[in-house]
Amino acid sequence: MVNFTIDEVRAMMEKKTNIRNMSVIAHVDHGKSTLTDSLVSKAGIIAQSKAGEMRFTDTRKDEQERCITIKSTAISMFFELSEADAQLVKGADQIDSTKTRGFLINLIDSPGHVDFSSEVTAALRVTDGALVVVDAVSGVCVQTETVLRQAIAERIKPILFMNKMDRALLELQLQQEDLYQTFARIAESINVIIATYSDESGPMGDIKIDPSKGNCGFGSGLHGWAFTLKQFAEMYSAKFKIDLEKLMRRLWGESFFNPVTKKWANSRETPEHQRAFNMFVLDPLYKIFDAVMKFDKEATAKLLEKLNIELKGEDKEKEGKHLLRVILQKWLPAGEVLFQMITIHLPSPATAQKYRMELLYEGPMDDEAAVAIKACDPKGPLMMYISKMVPTTDKGRFYAFGRVFSGVCATGQKVRIMGPNYVPGKKDDLYEKSIQRTVLMMGRNTEAIEDVPCGNICGLVGVDQFLVKTGTITTFKDAHNLKVMKFSVSPVVRVAVEPKNPADLPKLVEGLKRLAKSDPMVQIIIEESGEHIIAGAGELHLEICLKDLEEDHACIPIKTSDPVVSYRETVSEASSEICLSKSPNKHNRLYMSAVPMPDGLAEDIDSGEITAKQEFKARGRVLADKYGWDVGEARKIWCFGPDTTGPNVLMDVTKGVQYLNEIRDSVIAGFQWSTKEGVLCEENCRGVRFNVHDVTLHADAIHRGGGQIIPTARRCLYACVLTAAPRLLEPVYLVEIQCPEAAVGGIYGVLNRRRGHVIEENQVVGTPMFVVKAYLPVNESFGFTADLRSNTGGQAFPQCIFDHWQILPGDPFDPKTKPAEVVATTRKRKGLKEGIPELSNYLDKL
Amino acid sequence: MTPMMNVVALVSGGKDSCFNMMCAVADGHRIVALANLQPKGTDELDSYMYQTVGHQAISYYAEAMRLPVYRRFISGTPLSQTKDYEATPDDEVEDLYDLLVEIQSHTPFEAVAVGAIMSEYQTLRVLNICKRLNIKALTYLWQRNQQELLHEMVATDVDAILIKVAALGLTPEKHLGKSVKDLAEYLIQLEAQYGCNPCGEGGEYESLVLDCPLFSKRVVIDESEAVAVSTDSVCPIGFLNPKVLHLEEKPGFDVSKSQRELLEPYMAVLRGSLSKSLRE
Repeated sequence: MVNFTIDEVRAMMEKKTNIRNMSVIAHVDHGKSTLTDSLVSKAGIIAQSKAGEMRFTDTRKDEQERCITIKSTAISMFFELSEADAQLVKGADQIDSTKTRGFLINLIDSPGHVDFSSEVTAALRVTDGALVVVDAVSGVCVQTETVLRQAIAERIKPILFMNKMDRALLELQLQQEDLYQTFARIAESINVIIATYSDESGPMGDIKIDPSKGNCGFGSGLHGWAFTLKQFAEMYSAKFKIDLEKLMRRLWGESFFNPVTKKWANSRETPEHQRAFNMFVLDPLYKIFDAVMKFDKEATAKLLEKLNIELKGEDKEKEGKHLLRVILQKWLPAGEVLFQMITIHLPSPATAQKYRMELLYEGPMDDEAAVAIKACDPKGPLMMYISKMVPTTDKGRFYAFGRVFSGVCATGQKVRIMGPNYVPGKKDDLYEKSIQRTVLMMGRNTEAIEDVPCGNICGLVGVDQFLVKTGTITTFKDAHNLKVMKFSVSPVVRVAVEPKNPADLPKLVEGLKRLAKSDPMVQIIIEESGEHIIAGAGELHLEICLKDLEEDHACIPIKTSDPVVSYRETVSEASSEICLSKSPNKHNRLYMSAVPMPDGLAEDIDSGEITAKQEFKARGRVLADKYGWDVGEARKIWCFGPDTTGPNVLMDVTKGVQYLNEIRDSVIAGFQWSTKEGVLCEENCRGVRFNVHDVTLHADAIHRGGGQIIPTARRCLYACVLTAAPRLLEPVYLVEIQCPEAAVGGIYGVLNRRRGHVIEENQVVGTPMFVVKAYLPVNESFGFTADLRSNTGGQAFPQCIFDHWQILPGDPFDPKTKPAEVVATTRKRKGLKEGIPELSNYLDKL
Repeated sequence: MTPMMNVVALVSGGKDSCFNMMCAVADGHRIVALANLQPKGTDELDSYMYQTVGHQAISYYAEAMRLPVYRRFISGTPLSQTKDYEATPDDEVEDLYDLLVEIQSHTPFEAVAVGAIMSEYQTLRVLNICKRLNIKALTYLWQRNQQELLHEMVATDVDAILIKVAALGLTPEKHLGKSVKDLAEYLIQLEAQYGCNPCGEGGEYESLVLDCPLFSKRVVIDESEAVAVSTDSVCPIGFLNPKVLHLEEKPGFDVSKSQRELLEPYMAVLRGSLSKSLRE
């Protein structure tokens, strides 16, 4: 640990070229937190006042009990590069002009379990680089892919660390070439993902993982050792008289060396030629493993001498695994290696904000705020994004945690606090307040700091009451919002809660508000029936939320309903007729119809490929090219919904209608409403295109106001859905299960009983483990983990991640079907009238 | 000040025509007769021009006012639906023309009082007829702020109930039969919420006046039937059909007082109303 005064930390914050903001991301159980520990213990910054107090990474009790990370934690660290290594930092924005070798590293350790992906999203937003950790034995898993994809979408540059190498050698006893192939395969899989979601000519340049460039590490977080090819190239560089970078290239891939002739080749030219990686990197490691694990003292001593490692005191007495650990830690200390990777290969805020600005900022690309963010300019207006709320030690209050992108954020400064619904020029979701205090977040501890310049991460006191979860803080009065984060998971599982003692209801309501704040994704809904609903990503997520609600936020005993899933309403055919609805005063008529969207369009809207904010001509082109829509029509999208961004569209296909523009807002309001609360059971609509065909309106504006048109639009849209063979969509998980071969049979049985089906079954190369991938309806997933474990003797461990929506087969109007049952129970739960409303309620005759 | 005129008040039974009539009296004119157009064979016609629900009450209304009422069935249909209007045979507007011509043969009058507030459609039609008959139209409510009007009606004891609802935020179960006075704040709130007209000018609701300072007796509905036009969950529509009605004596009502004298206690409010009205 390094001790600094707050003033020293503040001075480091000033050097925007010597800062690295990074997150550690990985699949659950791939060893992120263990790896992070080795970094923190080496270089974590402790303010002098806090030194000697409890441990830094100390987090929630339940996190330790369950051995998983639930909340992301930020930690600041300090690392100084050697003079030679400082030369390897390329680019003027990556190290300051005087070649200051000290670096401030802000690291966010995030959870690996898919249910907490929203924490990862929040972490990615405030960082510029990501250390992707992959278990060398399990390989690239579903969550690795999800988080990596998200990182790339946010323009976060990745570096790779292949962890648990000790297991590959000790447990799996892999041969050198097999291990090389395993590494190569992982790097390849990662690069496939990177190539799918980015492009070499893109703004980040080539971000592929290439061990020969040193942006890929190998080792064991648990045992505290790691290396990149740079470490080995340094050892051999002098001997071979080959330049370091050139040698690194020779140590990876199709590069072979003949020790007899001392000749290099690009293929195995002669039987004597050996793969350079195996020969120069793996072989020495294998020799050490071999010698130590066979308790061969003589050979061990020889090796130690060769490597210049001297054992001291009690280390000399150690044997076997313990000795191995000591030797490797001394030879290849993990912290040193990782910090080199981070400082050399990850971008500084000065570098990253140049290409991240256009993705972050919603306003014009040339206004004051945009320019300041791009330049990471401390003299520009303050622009800060609040990505999450962190509970303070005094219950009920939160630190607003986020990243300063431009300007300086200071205690007492008067700022504009803009929520996600703020629209420039309007007053909604906008507060002008002073920042009570700026603080540095160091794990669970905080330290007050006078001000924080751009490029850094900090917490604010006194902002929590004006923001629900996220928002933008600025001093620039014409500033637009920084973009809202997009989550990779949806809150598809919900439970209803009520206090055990009805008198505690106010406490519950207050507690729910706090819960909504403390978790980036959880949704709190109050149904018309008065029920309080908590919606989360999965069973585990809800379990944690409920526990927090009961113990931390509401502090009262709570009754919880069985979990239910969210459904969506859609249509499976085009409306059988163009539907007519009359306004309440009968003097206005709307003619509309519904059509299912082509496959993939709803997903494109979800992912932001097609959005409400796109330029309409460009969007029209995509819709025409990809989905075969008429270009003229495709340009006339009135809006998306629900919530103006959802996966349904309202299209104007009218021809020359009078006063149409006057009622447009009212029709849109009706559309937002009816896509938010669908006709079947008031669930969201999904994948429906509504067409406005014609309208006839009262000649006098007074008779065609919102009170007349909004309900008419809503009724008409309901009629459209009812005439278009409406269906329910249910959420489906992609499940990834790792287990030994013997357990595979048990998995099939459990999946079959739960309407799941296997889509892929592979053996993990070089191991006896199998990976089974399957689709499983979320509704069938409750208790799935426990069921699976009991049927496989505890050997199978599933990861469920929301994947897609699928039609729940059956006609909801046929009372014998499953959808009809879902509709009936949902309506009952929401306190709606029994039965799907008759078409005649909404469809009028001329 | 305009010279005193004899005025025929066009009444629908609703609060606006009633309040406009009071304004005419307060302005120094004399109401000599009531005119009303009633639906034939149905209770609600969804006419573009006339309120028809509550037509059963009109005869009681006339008796309470101690005035003759001239009525005619609506035989025309809204043929001309543009904003402007030119005499069109068989249009529902022509029924009003015919009615006024008929009244002229019984009693002389120089003006009609019309309670239109915002509807240019309706006002342009009435003006068209007035021009053809060479009489004046008294429209004290024209272009007035509807929130203010609602408050003024409540302040001058115009006791009206909702007898039809047809707009977002108003439901038959909750709002039919409720007094305008009790709902005034809610109606104003709906304006902000959905853009409803607080006085129901866009057809959001219709009202029936049960009592006002000019009435010598009070209209009492003994029995009524709620008719549901549409029961959907989005925007249910319904109206109240008064079946059995009677008039109730108003204790302390002084029959010797003139129309103008009856309004004396309310003149402060009414003067304010007059000062805000647009006179041609």
